Amino acid sequence: MVTSVWNKPGTIANAFWERGWDFEAPETAPLPVYDMHGHMGSHNAIYFARCDAPEMVKHLKRSGIRRLVFSHHHALWGEFRNAQVRDICSQFPDVLRFYVAINPHRPQYIEEDLKLYDSFKPYVVGLKILAGYHKVVVTDKRYEKAMEFAAERKLPVLFHTWNGCPFNGLDPMTQLCKRYPTVTFFIGHSFSNWQAAKKLADQTENTYFELTSLPGQYGMIEHLVQEVGSKRIIFGTDMPWFDEFQHIGGILSAEISDEAKKDILCGNIERLLGKDW
Amino acid sequence: MTSETLEQKRAARKEWLSKLEFFDAFCSLYIDNNSEEFESAIASPEKLLAEMDRNGVSRAVVYHGNTGMVGAAYANNELAEGIKAYSDRLTGVWSILPEQCHELPDVEHIFVAMKENNIGALTLYPTWHRWIPNKLTIGRLMEAVAARKVPVYLPLGNGEGSWKWVYDFMKEFPTATTIVATLGLWGSDRNLRPLLENYPNLHAEMSQYWVPEGITDMAKIYGADRLLYGSGMPKMGFGSTMLSIVNLQLPEGDIEKIASGNIKRLLAWN
Repeated sequence: MVTSVWNKPGTIANAFWERGWDFEAPETAPLPVYDMHGHMGSHNAIYFARCDAPEMVKHLKRSGIRRLVFSHHHALWGEFRNAQVRDICSQFPDVLRFYVAINPHRPQYIEEDLKLYDSFKPYVVGLKILAGYHKVVVTDKRYEKAMEFAAERKLPVLFHTWNGCPFNGLDPMTQLCKRYPTVTFFIGHSFSNWQAAKKLADQTENTYFELTSLPGQYGMIEHLVQEVGSKRIIFGTDMPWFDEFQHIGGILSAEISDEAKKDILCGNIERLLGKDW
Repeated sequence: MTSETLEQKRAARKEWLSKLEFFDAFCSLYIDNNSEEFESAIASPEKLLAEMDRNGVSRAVVYHGNTGMVGAAYANNELAEGIKAYSDRLTGVWSILPEQCHELPDVEHIFVAMKENNIGALTLYPTWHRWIPNKLTIGRLMEAVAARKVPVYLPLGNGEGSWKWVYDFMKEFPTATTIVATLGLWGSDRNLRPLLENYPNLHAEMSQYWVPEGITDMAKIYGADRLLYGSGMPKMGFGSTMLSIVNLQLPEGDIEKIASGNIKRLLAWN
Protein backbone atom coordinates (compact mmCIF):
# COMPACT_ATOMS: atom_id res chain seq x y z
CA MET A 1 0.00 0.00 0.00
CA VAL A 2 1.53 3.30 -1.11
CA THR A 3 1.06 6.31 1.16
CA SER A 4 -0.30 9.08 -1.01
CA VAL A 5 0.83 12.69 -1.01
CA TRP A 6 -2.29 13.50 1.04
CA ASN A 7 -1.69 10.94 3.76
CA LYS A 8 1.88 11.61 4.85
CA PRO A 9 1.62 12.77 8.47
CA GLY A 10 3.23 16.09 9.27
CA THR A 11 3.11 17.42 5.72
CA ILE A 12 1.35 20.56 4.53
CA ALA A 13 -0.70 18.49 2.09
CA ASN A 14 -1.93 16.24 4.89
CA ALA A 15 -2.86 19.22 7.04
CA PHE A 16 -4.98 20.77 4.27
CA TRP A 17 -6.47 17.40 3.32
CA GLU A 18 -7.74 16.61 6.79
CA ARG A 19 -8.83 20.12 7.71
CA GLY A 20 -12.62 20.35 8.00
CA TRP A 21 -13.92 23.41 6.19
CA ASP A 22 -17.18 23.25 8.12
CA PHE A 23 -15.86 23.17 11.67
CA GLU A 24 -12.39 24.72 11.65
CA ALA A 25 -12.00 28.47 12.12
CA PRO A 26 -10.49 30.30 9.11
CA GLU A 27 -7.49 31.43 11.12
CA THR A 28 -6.57 27.80 11.81
CA ALA A 29 -5.59 27.16 8.19
CA PRO A 30 -2.31 25.21 8.01
CA LEU A 31 -0.71 28.18 6.23
CA PRO A 32 -1.84 31.78 5.73
CA VAL A 33 -2.34 31.53 1.96
CA TYR A 34 -2.04 34.74 -0.06
CA ASP A 35 -3.95 34.77 -3.34
CA MET A 36 -2.23 37.49 -5.33
CA HIS A 37 -4.35 37.36 -8.49
CA GLY A 38 -8.08 37.80 -8.18
CA HIS A 39 -10.95 39.61 -9.81
CA MET A 40 -14.49 40.51 -8.87
CA GLY A 41 -17.73 41.17 -10.70
CA SER A 42 -19.61 39.51 -13.53
CA HIS A 43 -18.02 38.49 -16.84
CA ASN A 44 -19.29 38.66 -20.39
CA ALA A 45 -18.39 35.10 -21.32
CA ILE A 46 -18.74 33.15 -18.08
CA TYR A 47 -21.53 32.66 -15.56
CA PHE A 48 -20.16 33.20 -12.07
CA ALA A 49 -22.66 32.45 -9.32
CA ARG A 50 -20.36 33.99 -6.74
CA CYS A 51 -18.52 36.99 -8.12
CA ASP A 52 -19.43 39.64 -5.57
CA ALA A 53 -17.60 40.30 -2.35
CA PRO A 54 -19.84 38.62 0.26
CA GLU A 55 -19.98 35.25 -1.50
CA MET A 56 -16.35 35.41 -2.57
CA VAL A 57 -15.24 36.10 0.98
CA LYS A 58 -17.19 33.09 2.24
CA HIS A 59 -15.31 30.87 -0.21
CA LEU A 60 -11.98 32.50 0.63
CA LYS A 61 -12.45 32.03 4.35
CA ARG A 62 -13.55 28.43 4.21
CA SER A 63 -10.58 27.58 2.00
CA GLY A 64 -8.07 29.24 4.31
CA ILE A 65 -7.10 32.29 2.25
CA ARG A 66 -5.65 35.10 4.37
CA ARG A 67 -5.68 37.74 1.66
CA LEU A 68 -7.08 38.03 -1.84
CA VAL A 69 -5.62 40.85 -3.92
CA PHE A 70 -7.88 41.54 -6.87
CA SER A 71 -8.70 43.93 -9.68
CA HIS A 72 -12.36 44.42 -10.43
CA HIS A 73 -13.52 43.22 -13.86
CA HIS A 74 -15.58 46.33 -14.40
CA ALA A 75 -12.73 48.62 -13.39
CA LEU A 76 -10.54 46.89 -15.99
CA TRP A 77 -13.13 46.85 -18.76
CA GLY A 78 -15.92 49.20 -17.79
CA GLU A 79 -16.62 52.43 -16.00
CA PHE A 80 -16.44 51.11 -12.43
CA ARG A 81 -13.87 53.19 -10.58
CA ASN A 82 -11.05 52.11 -8.32
CA ALA A 83 -12.42 54.28 -5.51
CA GLN A 84 -15.49 52.05 -5.52
CA VAL A 85 -13.26 49.01 -5.28
CA ARG A 86 -11.61 50.52 -2.23
CA ASP A 87 -15.04 50.84 -0.62
CA ILE A 88 -15.76 47.16 -1.27
CA CYS A 89 -12.48 46.18 0.38
CA SER A 90 -13.25 48.33 3.39
CA GLN A 91 -16.28 46.12 4.08
CA PHE A 92 -14.04 43.03 4.31
CA PRO A 93 -10.83 44.45 5.74
CA ASP A 94 -9.59 41.13 7.10
CA VAL A 95 -9.48 39.49 3.64
CA LEU A 96 -9.75 41.81 0.63
CA ARG A 97 -7.04 43.99 -0.92
CA PHE A 98 -6.90 45.38 -4.44
CA TYR A 99 -4.75 46.48 -7.34
CA VAL A 100 -5.58 49.75 -9.05
CA ALA A 101 -6.88 48.69 -12.46
CA ILE A 102 -5.04 50.49 -15.25
CA ASN A 103 -6.95 50.90 -18.51
CA PRO A 104 -4.70 52.46 -21.17
CA HIS A 105 -7.79 53.62 -23.03
CA ARG A 106 -8.80 55.80 -20.08
CA PRO A 107 -5.80 58.14 -19.50
CA GLN A 108 -7.94 60.50 -17.44
CA TYR A 109 -8.90 57.68 -15.07
CA ILE A 110 -5.25 56.68 -14.69
CA GLU A 111 -4.27 60.19 -13.73
CA GLU A 112 -7.16 60.59 -11.31
CA ASP A 113 -6.63 57.20 -9.67
CA LEU A 114 -2.90 57.69 -9.17
CA LYS A 115 -3.65 60.97 -7.43
CA LEU A 116 -6.08 59.12 -5.19
CA TYR A 117 -3.68 56.26 -4.51
CA ASP A 118 -2.86 57.26 -0.95
CA SER A 119 -6.54 57.50 -0.11
CA PHE A 120 -6.93 53.89 -1.16
CA LYS A 121 -4.72 52.77 1.70
CA PRO A 122 -4.62 50.44 3.57
CA TYR A 123 -6.43 48.31 1.00
CA VAL A 124 -4.37 49.03 -2.09
CA VAL A 125 -1.35 46.86 -2.86
CA GLY A 126 -0.21 47.97 -6.32
CA LEU A 127 -1.34 48.19 -9.93
CA LYS A 128 -2.84 45.75 -12.42
CA ILE A 129 -2.15 45.87 -16.16
CA LEU A 130 -4.09 43.67 -18.57
CA ALA A 131 -2.41 44.48 -21.86
CA GLY A 132 -3.48 41.36 -23.74
CA TYR A 133 -7.13 42.25 -23.29
CA HIS A 134 -6.70 45.99 -23.82
CA LYS A 135 -4.52 45.24 -26.85
CA VAL A 136 -1.93 47.86 -25.97
CA VAL A 137 1.62 46.56 -25.63
CA VAL A 138 3.05 46.90 -22.10
CA THR A 139 5.88 49.14 -23.34
CA ASP A 140 3.41 51.65 -24.80
CA LYS A 141 3.58 55.28 -23.63
CA ARG A 142 0.02 55.04 -22.34
CA TYR A 143 1.28 53.01 -19.36
CA GLU A 144 4.22 55.30 -18.59
CA LYS A 145 2.59 57.43 -15.90
CA ALA A 146 1.45 54.33 -14.07
CA MET A 147 4.80 52.60 -14.40
CA GLU A 148 6.75 55.65 -13.28
CA PHE A 149 4.43 55.96 -10.29
CA ALA A 150 5.06 52.30 -9.41
CA ALA A 151 8.81 52.69 -9.91
CA GLU A 152 9.01 55.74 -7.67
CA ARG A 153 7.11 53.99 -4.88
CA LYS A 154 8.60 50.54 -5.50
CA LEU A 155 5.15 49.03 -5.90
CA PRO A 156 4.22 45.60 -7.18
CA VAL A 157 2.47 45.54 -10.54
CA LEU A 158 0.55 42.46 -11.62
CA PHE A 159 0.58 41.80 -15.35
CA HIS A 160 -1.50 39.34 -17.26
CA THR A 161 1.14 37.59 -19.38
CA TRP A 162 0.92 34.96 -22.09
CA ASN A 163 3.63 33.38 -24.16
CA GLY A 164 3.54 34.57 -27.77
CA CYS A 165 1.16 37.45 -27.07
CA PRO A 166 2.40 40.60 -28.81
CA PHE A 167 1.05 42.76 -26.00
CA ASN A 168 2.39 40.93 -22.93
CA GLY A 169 4.53 38.07 -24.15
CA LEU A 170 8.16 37.44 -23.26
CA ASP A 171 9.82 40.14 -25.39
CA PRO A 172 7.83 43.20 -24.33
CA MET A 173 7.77 42.01 -20.71
CA THR A 174 11.56 41.58 -20.72
CA GLN A 175 12.01 45.11 -22.03
CA LEU A 176 9.67 46.51 -19.40
CA CYS A 177 11.15 44.61 -16.46
CA LYS A 178 14.61 45.91 -17.37
CA ARG A 179 13.32 49.44 -17.87
CA TYR A 180 11.84 49.61 -14.35
CA PRO A 181 14.23 47.80 -11.99
CA THR A 182 12.59 49.18 -8.84
CA VAL A 183 9.17 47.81 -9.72
CA THR A 184 8.28 44.35 -8.42
CA PHE A 185 6.79 42.57 -11.40
CA PHE A 186 4.17 39.90 -10.73
CA ILE A 187 4.13 37.85 -13.93
CA GLY A 188 0.51 36.72 -14.03
CA HIS A 189 0.05 33.16 -15.33
CA SER A 190 3.86 32.92 -15.70
CA PHE A 191 3.26 33.29 -19.47
CA SER A 192 1.41 29.95 -19.17
CA ASN A 193 4.74 28.56 -20.27
CA TRP A 194 7.58 27.56 -17.97
CA GLN A 195 10.22 27.95 -20.68
CA ALA A 196 9.30 31.61 -21.18
CA ALA A 197 9.20 32.10 -17.41
CA LYS A 198 12.72 30.72 -17.14
CA LYS A 199 14.00 33.07 -19.86
CA LEU A 200 12.64 36.10 -18.04
CA ALA A 201 13.80 34.84 -14.63
CA ASP A 202 17.33 34.38 -15.95
CA GLN A 203 17.51 37.98 -17.16
CA THR A 204 15.85 39.79 -14.27
CA GLU A 205 15.77 39.93 -10.49
CA ASN A 206 12.62 41.98 -9.97
CA THR A 207 10.20 39.33 -11.25
CA TYR A 208 7.90 36.93 -9.42
CA PHE A 209 5.98 34.27 -11.28
CA GLU A 210 2.30 33.98 -10.50
CA LEU A 211 0.39 30.73 -10.96
CA THR A 212 -3.22 31.39 -11.96
CA SER A 213 -4.61 28.55 -14.13
CA LEU A 214 -1.42 26.51 -13.85
CA PRO A 215 -1.70 24.36 -10.69
CA GLY A 216 -4.08 21.84 -12.26
CA GLN A 217 -1.75 21.21 -15.18
CA TYR A 218 0.28 18.06 -14.85
CA GLY A 219 3.98 18.75 -14.28
CA MET A 220 3.72 22.53 -14.59
CA ILE A 221 4.48 23.39 -10.97
CA GLU A 222 7.41 20.98 -10.87
CA HIS A 223 8.88 22.52 -14.04
CA LEU A 224 8.49 26.06 -12.73
CA VAL A 225 10.05 25.25 -9.38
CA GLN A 226 12.94 23.55 -11.09
CA GLU A 227 13.52 26.33 -13.62
CA VAL A 228 12.85 29.58 -11.75
CA GLY A 229 13.05 28.35 -8.14
CA SER A 230 10.34 28.26 -5.50
CA LYS A 231 11.52 31.58 -4.02
CA ARG A 232 10.24 33.41 -7.09
CA ILE A 233 6.79 31.86 -7.41
CA ILE A 234 3.60 33.30 -5.92
CA PHE A 235 0.09 31.92 -5.67
CA GLY A 236 -2.99 33.20 -7.50
CA THR A 237 -6.30 31.91 -8.82
CA ASP A 238 -8.16 34.54 -10.86
CA MET A 239 -10.87 34.07 -8.22
CA PRO A 240 -13.86 34.06 -9.01
CA TRP A 241 -12.72 32.21 -12.12
CA PHE A 242 -11.07 29.34 -10.30
CA ASP A 243 -11.73 27.50 -7.08
CA GLU A 244 -9.24 28.09 -4.26
CA PHE A 245 -9.22 24.45 -3.20
CA GLN A 246 -8.52 23.37 -6.78
CA HIS A 247 -5.47 25.63 -7.09
CA ILE A 248 -4.17 24.91 -3.59
CA GLY A 249 -4.64 21.22 -4.39
CA GLY A 250 -2.47 21.62 -7.47
CA ILE A 251 0.37 23.03 -5.37
CA LEU A 252 0.02 20.53 -2.56
CA SER A 253 -0.07 17.49 -4.86
CA ALA A 254 2.94 18.61 -6.92
CA GLU A 255 6.19 16.68 -6.54
CA ILE A 256 8.03 19.49 -4.78
CA SER A 257 9.26 19.89 -1.21
CA ASP A 258 7.14 21.18 1.65
CA GLU A 259 9.48 24.15 1.85
CA ALA A 260 8.74 24.99 -1.78
CA LYS A 261 4.99 24.68 -1.18
CA LYS A 262 5.29 27.06 1.76
CA ASP A 263 7.32 29.53 -0.33
CA ILE A 264 4.62 29.57 -2.99
CA LEU A 265 1.54 29.73 -0.80
CA CYS A 266 2.77 32.32 1.69
CA GLY A 267 6.50 32.63 2.33
CA ASN A 268 7.50 34.68 -0.69
CA ILE A 269 4.72 37.21 -0.25
CA GLU A 270 5.48 37.61 3.43
CA ARG A 271 9.12 38.26 2.52
CA LEU A 272 8.04 40.85 -0.07
CA LEU A 273 5.16 42.59 1.70
CA GLY A 274 5.42 41.49 5.31
CA LYS A 275 2.65 39.92 7.35
CA ASP A 276 0.78 43.02 8.36
CA TRP A 277 -0.86 44.50 5.29
CA MET B 1 -18.02 24.33 20.83
CA THR B 2 -15.87 22.38 23.29
CA SER B 3 -12.38 21.25 22.33
CA GLU B 4 -13.52 17.68 22.85
CA THR B 5 -16.21 18.10 20.22
CA LEU B 6 -13.73 19.63 17.84
CA GLU B 7 -11.38 16.70 18.33
CA GLN B 8 -14.21 14.30 17.70
CA LYS B 9 -15.04 16.09 14.47
CA ARG B 10 -11.44 15.99 13.36
CA ALA B 11 -11.25 12.29 14.12
CA ALA B 12 -14.49 11.63 12.24
CA ARG B 13 -13.28 13.51 9.16
CA LYS B 14 -9.97 11.66 9.21
CA GLU B 15 -11.80 8.35 9.42
CA TRP B 16 -14.13 9.29 6.55
CA LEU B 17 -11.23 10.44 4.37
CA SER B 18 -9.37 7.21 5.01
CA LYS B 19 -12.27 5.32 3.46
CA LEU B 20 -13.03 7.73 0.64
CA GLU B 21 -12.15 6.17 -2.70
CA PHE B 22 -11.17 8.13 -5.80
CA PHE B 23 -11.96 6.51 -9.13
CA ASP B 24 -10.78 8.72 -11.97
CA ALA B 25 -13.50 8.86 -14.61
CA PHE B 26 -11.35 10.39 -17.33
CA CYS B 27 -7.67 10.04 -18.06
CA SER B 28 -5.57 8.80 -20.94
CA LEU B 29 -2.75 6.48 -21.74
CA TYR B 30 -0.18 6.81 -24.51
CA ILE B 31 1.25 9.91 -26.05
CA ASP B 32 -0.76 12.35 -28.08
CA ASN B 33 1.80 13.14 -30.76
CA ASN B 34 0.07 16.39 -31.57
CA SER B 35 0.06 17.70 -28.04
CA GLU B 36 2.36 20.31 -26.59
CA GLU B 37 2.31 18.19 -23.44
CA PHE B 38 4.18 15.47 -25.34
CA GLU B 39 7.09 15.26 -22.95
CA SER B 40 5.01 15.07 -19.81
CA ALA B 41 2.48 12.59 -21.13
CA ILE B 42 1.88 9.37 -19.30
CA ALA B 43 3.14 6.92 -21.88
CA SER B 44 2.71 3.60 -20.11
CA PRO B 45 0.23 1.94 -17.75
CA GLU B 46 3.01 1.54 -15.20
CA LYS B 47 3.73 5.27 -15.12
CA LEU B 48 0.05 6.04 -14.87
CA LEU B 49 -0.43 3.62 -11.99
CA ALA B 50 2.56 5.06 -10.13
CA GLU B 51 1.12 8.55 -10.43
CA MET B 52 -2.28 7.28 -9.31
CA ASP B 53 -0.63 5.73 -6.25
CA ARG B 54 1.22 8.93 -5.45
CA ASN B 55 -2.09 10.79 -5.40
CA GLY B 56 -4.24 8.13 -3.76
CA VAL B 57 -6.39 7.28 -6.79
CA SER B 58 -7.44 3.66 -6.74
CA ARG B 59 -8.88 3.10 -10.22
CA ALA B 60 -9.25 4.93 -13.52
CA VAL B 61 -11.14 4.92 -16.79
CA VAL B 62 -8.58 5.37 -19.55
CA TYR B 63 -8.88 6.29 -23.20
CA HIS B 64 -6.10 6.11 -25.76
CA GLY B 65 -4.51 9.55 -25.83
CA ASN B 66 -3.51 9.32 -29.47
CA THR B 67 -6.81 7.99 -30.85
CA GLY B 68 -7.35 11.09 -32.92
CA MET B 69 -4.14 10.58 -34.86
CA VAL B 70 -3.74 6.80 -35.07
CA GLY B 71 -7.40 6.04 -35.59
CA ALA B 72 -9.99 4.06 -33.70
CA ALA B 73 -9.13 0.52 -34.77
CA TYR B 74 -5.43 0.78 -33.94
CA ALA B 75 -6.00 2.71 -30.71
CA ASN B 76 -8.71 0.35 -29.48
CA ASN B 77 -6.45 -2.67 -29.93
CA GLU B 78 -3.40 -1.03 -28.38
CA LEU B 79 -5.38 0.19 -25.38
CA ALA B 80 -6.93 -3.22 -24.75
CA GLU B 81 -3.49 -4.80 -24.89
CA GLY B 82 -1.96 -2.14 -22.64
CA ILE B 83 -4.45 -2.44 -19.82
CA LYS B 84 -4.84 -6.23 -19.97
CA ALA B 85 -2.55 -6.83 -17.01
CA TYR B 86 -4.20 -4.15 -14.88
CA SER B 87 -7.90 -4.92 -15.14
CA ASP B 88 -8.32 -4.51 -11.39
CA ARG B 89 -7.42 -0.82 -11.67
CA LEU B 90 -7.79 0.35 -15.28
CA THR B 91 -10.96 0.20 -17.39
CA GLY B 92 -10.72 1.11 -21.06
CA VAL B 93 -12.69 3.33 -23.43
CA TRP B 94 -13.05 2.37 -27.06
CA SER B 95 -13.67 4.79 -29.89
CA ILE B 96 -16.49 4.09 -32.35
CA LEU B 97 -16.89 4.71 -36.08
CA PRO B 98 -19.78 4.53 -38.60
CA GLU B 99 -21.15 1.03 -38.75
CA GLN B 100 -21.22 0.82 -42.54
CA CYS B 101 -17.45 0.53 -42.97
CA HIS B 102 -17.13 -2.47 -40.63
CA GLU B 103 -13.80 -1.29 -39.17
CA LEU B 104 -14.79 -2.30 -35.63
CA PRO B 105 -16.83 -5.18 -34.20
CA ASP B 106 -20.45 -4.77 -35.28
CA VAL B 107 -23.36 -4.22 -32.95
CA GLU B 108 -23.93 -7.94 -32.44
CA HIS B 109 -20.38 -8.46 -31.20
CA ILE B 110 -19.05 -5.23 -29.75
CA PHE B 111 -20.43 -5.67 -26.23
CA VAL B 112 -18.92 -9.13 -25.88
CA ALA B 113 -15.62 -7.78 -27.19
CA MET B 114 -15.76 -4.93 -24.70
CA LYS B 115 -16.37 -7.32 -21.85
CA GLU B 116 -13.53 -9.58 -22.93
CA ASN B 117 -11.15 -6.65 -23.18
CA ASN B 118 -12.11 -4.81 -19.99
CA ILE B 119 -13.64 -1.93 -21.91
CA GLY B 120 -16.32 -0.12 -19.94
CA ALA B 121 -17.26 2.82 -22.10
CA LEU B 122 -17.22 4.24 -25.62
CA THR B 123 -16.22 7.53 -27.15
CA LEU B 124 -15.98 9.10 -30.58
CA TYR B 125 -13.75 11.49 -32.53
CA PRO B 126 -15.86 12.50 -35.53
CA THR B 127 -13.79 15.60 -36.28
CA TRP B 128 -10.47 13.75 -36.28
CA HIS B 129 -11.93 10.71 -38.01
CA ARG B 130 -14.09 12.65 -40.46
CA TRP B 131 -17.62 11.42 -40.05
CA ILE B 132 -20.95 12.70 -38.81
CA PRO B 133 -22.44 11.15 -35.66
CA ASN B 134 -26.16 10.66 -36.26
CA LYS B 135 -28.76 7.95 -36.72
CA LEU B 136 -27.55 7.20 -40.26
CA THR B 137 -23.99 6.46 -39.18
CA ILE B 138 -24.35 4.94 -35.71
CA GLY B 139 -28.10 4.61 -35.24
CA ARG B 140 -28.24 0.83 -34.67
CA LEU B 141 -25.20 0.88 -32.44
CA MET B 142 -26.44 3.78 -30.33
CA GLU B 143 -29.84 2.15 -29.90
CA ALA B 144 -28.13 -0.89 -28.38
CA VAL B 145 -25.70 1.27 -26.41
CA ALA B 146 -28.53 3.31 -24.91
CA ALA B 147 -30.57 0.21 -24.06
CA ARG B 148 -27.62 -1.32 -22.21
CA LYS B 149 -26.76 2.02 -20.59
CA VAL B 150 -23.17 1.87 -21.83
CA PRO B 151 -21.60 5.25 -21.06
CA VAL B 152 -20.43 7.27 -24.05
CA TYR B 153 -17.81 9.97 -23.49
CA LEU B 154 -18.30 13.21 -25.44
CA PRO B 155 -14.89 14.92 -25.30
CA LEU B 156 -14.46 18.64 -25.84
CA GLY B 157 -11.17 20.22 -26.81
CA ASN B 158 -8.00 18.59 -28.16
CA GLY B 159 -9.10 19.34 -31.69
CA GLU B 160 -12.32 17.40 -31.15
CA GLY B 161 -15.84 18.29 -30.12
CA SER B 162 -17.45 21.65 -29.54
CA TRP B 163 -20.50 22.39 -27.43
CA LYS B 164 -22.50 22.52 -30.66
CA TRP B 165 -21.34 18.99 -31.40
CA VAL B 166 -22.43 17.79 -27.95
CA TYR B 167 -25.81 19.49 -28.32
CA ASP B 168 -26.33 17.89 -31.74
CA PHE B 169 -25.35 14.47 -30.41
CA MET B 170 -27.76 14.67 -27.48
CA LYS B 171 -30.59 15.86 -29.72
CA GLU B 172 -29.99 12.86 -31.96
CA PHE B 173 -29.57 10.35 -29.09
CA PRO B 174 -31.47 11.84 -26.14
CA THR B 175 -31.69 8.67 -24.06
CA ALA B 176 -28.00 7.77 -24.33
CA THR B 177 -25.96 7.57 -21.14
CA THR B 178 -23.27 10.16 -21.78
CA ILE B 179 -20.37 11.83 -20.00
CA VAL B 180 -19.28 15.25 -21.25
CA ALA B 181 -15.54 15.53 -20.70
CA THR B 182 -12.80 18.16 -20.82
CA LEU B 183 -15.19 21.06 -20.35
CA GLY B 184 -12.53 23.77 -20.74
CA LEU B 185 -11.20 26.10 -18.08
CA TRP B 186 -13.53 29.01 -18.77
CA GLY B 187 -16.60 28.31 -16.66
CA SER B 188 -19.03 26.28 -18.73
CA ASP B 189 -22.33 26.64 -16.85
CA ARG B 190 -24.09 28.37 -19.73
CA ASN B 191 -23.47 25.33 -21.91
CA LEU B 192 -23.55 22.54 -19.37
CA ARG B 193 -26.60 23.42 -17.31
CA PRO B 194 -29.12 23.24 -20.21
CA LEU B 195 -27.80 19.78 -21.06
CA LEU B 196 -28.06 18.56 -17.46
CA GLU B 197 -31.57 19.97 -17.25
CA ASN B 198 -32.85 18.38 -20.46
CA TYR B 199 -31.05 15.03 -20.67
CA PRO B 200 -31.34 13.01 -17.45
CA ASN B 201 -28.75 10.45 -18.57
CA LEU B 202 -26.09 13.06 -19.29
CA HIS B 203 -23.20 13.42 -16.84
CA ALA B 204 -20.10 15.58 -16.66
CA GLU B 205 -16.58 14.91 -15.46
CA MET B 206 -15.00 17.71 -13.50
CA SER B 207 -11.30 17.79 -14.43
CA GLN B 208 -11.61 21.22 -16.01
CA TYR B 209 -14.57 22.63 -14.14
CA TRP B 210 -12.96 24.97 -11.62
CA VAL B 211 -15.69 27.51 -10.85
CA PRO B 212 -15.64 28.28 -7.09
CA GLU B 213 -18.43 26.31 -5.40
CA GLY B 214 -19.65 25.38 -8.88
CA ILE B 215 -19.68 21.62 -8.33
CA THR B 216 -21.69 22.09 -5.15
CA ASP B 217 -24.17 24.32 -6.98
CA MET B 218 -24.67 21.89 -9.83
CA ALA B 219 -25.01 18.91 -7.50
CA LYS B 220 -27.71 20.73 -5.56
CA ILE B 221 -29.64 21.63 -8.72
CA TYR B 222 -29.21 18.50 -10.85
CA GLY B 223 -28.16 15.89 -8.29
CA ALA B 224 -24.79 14.60 -7.22
CA ASP B 225 -25.40 11.51 -9.37
CA ARG B 226 -24.62 13.54 -12.49
CA LEU B 227 -21.06 14.66 -11.68
CA LEU B 228 -17.85 12.65 -11.76
CA TYR B 229 -14.33 13.12 -10.49
CA GLY B 230 -11.97 13.11 -13.47
CA SER B 231 -8.33 14.07 -13.64
CA GLY B 232 -7.89 14.77 -17.33
CA MET B 233 -4.40 13.23 -17.15
CA PRO B 234 -1.94 13.91 -18.63
CA LYS B 235 -2.95 17.45 -19.51
CA MET B 236 -4.13 17.88 -15.94
CA GLY B 237 -2.91 16.23 -12.75
CA PHE B 238 -4.80 13.99 -10.35
CA GLY B 239 -4.50 15.99 -7.18
CA SER B 240 -5.94 19.46 -7.70
CA THR B 241 -9.56 18.46 -8.21
CA MET B 242 -9.31 15.93 -5.37
CA LEU B 243 -8.85 18.71 -2.83
CA SER B 244 -11.88 20.53 -4.27
CA ILE B 245 -14.00 17.42 -3.98
CA VAL B 246 -13.20 16.61 -0.36
CA ASN B 247 -14.17 20.19 0.48
CA LEU B 248 -17.49 20.37 -1.38
CA GLN B 249 -20.36 21.77 0.66
CA LEU B 250 -22.33 18.56 0.23
CA PRO B 251 -23.23 15.60 2.42
CA GLU B 252 -20.51 12.95 2.64
CA GLY B 253 -22.64 10.52 0.66
CA ASP B 254 -22.84 12.93 -2.27
CA ILE B 255 -19.07 13.48 -2.20
CA GLU B 256 -18.54 9.72 -2.25
CA LYS B 257 -20.72 9.49 -5.35
CA ILE B 258 -18.74 12.17 -7.16
CA ALA B 259 -15.37 10.74 -6.10
CA SER B 260 -16.08 7.16 -7.17
CA GLY B 261 -19.65 5.96 -6.73
CA ASN B 262 -21.09 7.42 -9.91
CA ILE B 263 -18.48 6.05 -12.28
CA LYS B 264 -18.77 2.62 -10.65
CA ARG B 265 -22.54 2.74 -11.20
CA LEU B 266 -22.11 3.77 -14.83
CA LEU B 267 -19.62 0.97 -15.51
CA ALA B 268 -21.85 -1.64 -13.85
CA TRP B 269 -23.57 -2.46 -17.17
CA ASN B 270 -20.51 -4.52 -18.03
